[in-house]
Amino acid sequence: MARRRIVFTIVVVAAVLAALAYLRDPPWLLSTTSGMRGWETDSSGTRLRWMGGHASFFVPANARSIEMPLRTTFARGDDWPVVVTVTIDDRPAERLVLRDGSWQRIVVSMPAAGSRRVRRIDLRMDRTRDDNRAAAIGEVVVR
Amino acid sequence: MALTVRSTLVVRAALVLCLAGYVFVYATGRANNPIRSDGFSYYVYLPSWFLFHDTTLSAVARDCCGGVYPPYTAIIRWPSTRQWVNAHPIGVAIMQAPLFGVAHALTRWTNLSRDGFTLYYQHAVGLSGLLWTVAGLSVLSIVLRRHFNDGVVAATIVTILLGTNLYHYATFDSSYSHPYSFFLFAAFLDLTERWHAAPTVRTSVLLGIVAGMIVLTRHTNALFLIVLPLYGVESMASARSRGAVLKDHRALVAIIVAVTALVVAPQLAIYYSATGRMLVSSYGELGFNFTSPRLVHLLIGVQKGLFFWSPILITGCIGFAWLLKSRHSARAFVVPALLFLGADTYLIASWWDWQFGGSFGHRGFIDTFPLFAIGTAAFFERVTVNPLTRRIVTVMVVMLVALNLFQMVQYWNHVLPPSDTTWDQYRSIFLRWR
Repeated sequence: MARRRIVFTIVVVAAVLAALAYLRDPPWLLSTTSGMRGWETDSSGTRLRWMGGHASFFVPANARSIEMPLRTTFARGDDWPVVVTVTIDDRPAERLVLRDGSWQRIVVSMPAAGSRRVRRIDLRMDRTRDDNRAAAIGEVVVR
Repeated sequence: MALTVRSTLVVRAALVLCLAGYVFVYATGRANNPIRSDGFSYYVYLPSWFLFHDTTLSAVARDCCGGVYPPYTAIIRWPSTRQWVNAHPIGVAIMQAPLFGVAHALTRWTNLSRDGFTLYYQHAVGLSGLLWTVAGLSVLSIVLRRHFNDGVVAATIVTILLGTNLYHYATFDSSYSHPYSFFLFAAFLDLTERWHAAPTVRTSVLLGIVAGMIVLTRHTNALFLIVLPLYGVESMASARSRGAVLKDHRALVAIIVAVTALVVAPQLAIYYSATGRMLVSSYGELGFNFTSPRLVHLLIGVQKGLFFWSPILITGCIGFAWLLKSRHSARAFVVPALLFLGADTYLIASWWDWQFGGSFGHRGFIDTFPLFAIGTAAFFERVTVNPLTRRIVTVMVVMLVALNLFQMVQYWNHVLPPSDTTWDQYRSIFLRWR
């Protein structure tokens, strides 16, 4: 009985360690996003996703720079510009102010990569419009 | 040959079945992220307290939503103080805290965004509701085994899980408060029996904690606490003797009351700090219409009627009627159960939105299923005496479970409307996948 319990404990500990090793840098992170709605196409044929106040996605660690098309709406006359702050793995990287409804492209140079295979990009917007839509992001170009 | 099913095995099978359902609804995209609708406002305290170190909920509003919570969250700015007030209390968040801690550690490990709403946080919330449901079934089976044989208990657990909307709220909509209240009600029934059998300081403290959590999870469920003093009351004479018992143990009763107050105190402090008042309703003008309760609609209506969508619960009512006329040990629960169910039904029927928004079946009664389970178990015990009635009831129960599961999948597939279902709609989609 005691031996069976020891074997069971060893198997559980080994499984937990294996799971943790896998979850340190899992391949599915590159397709993981948060704070974004589904893809849609605007009237000009541009594919975009609406973001709330905070969104994140991942890019390969060997990327040298990323280019993101961003825009917001100004449906009401008194709508304020939206300030977008970009961080890479929680370090401030770039800031952009969306002052009109046109697409603006922001290019962010990537700092030296760490030990992981992917980098996390966070975008924080300082305000949202109706239905918790802050800004739309188009197709991200990774170089 | 009679098939013997152990109730402990049924509870384990329930865990596997709930996990399978959970994986199915999220892997197939039938459900959006678990933290949604009411689930957002029940949970929002955890990221606010532990990630943003903010008790006012402002930091999460800034991070998730540009400073203003969307209307669906039911988190409003209190007019006089401009502070955020959440319509939903802190109890659910407290019960989600263990898995939230695990999710936070994993989030750091995988380098996901630590905002409280990324992948691991989402499923920590989803799985919390599932695990508390199964824990509730486990405690309920302990309560039932004191009064009924193992086969009856196993059948009751299966019936309550699969014949009602409990399975749906353990999987698809597990971030709502109902799985938590389901567990707390079962635990309160268990502790009530233990306390009346052998009142101790330990049981009194546990009763106080569970009573406090019941109030913190859903304020109106404070009504359920009448089960403790009314347990075993069957007549005026027994009511007097129950009063004498409580008087004899007044020190322990004081411990229960004190611990309950201590558990509830943080919620009152939050309300006070946000509004300057201890008791508030952030529903504004919306509230109860006590003079025009929608009782018939609530109980048998096609829109959200309890017995229309979960007809198997009628077995619980019949069981209570039989228990009332018997000398069965489970009879001790009947008077408090009927008084509470009557008051709760009136309360729900009087709420401005008596349907409780979009849901599969009426979600307001899920909390009370541990009480219905006692009646259902009594019903099963009674009908299994006769082989013929046993067969008839088995066939009926299997058919009602199958109908419930079919309608649940219809809801998952968006065939069934989330609210305001009409008879014509119901007939047109009856037993149709699409």
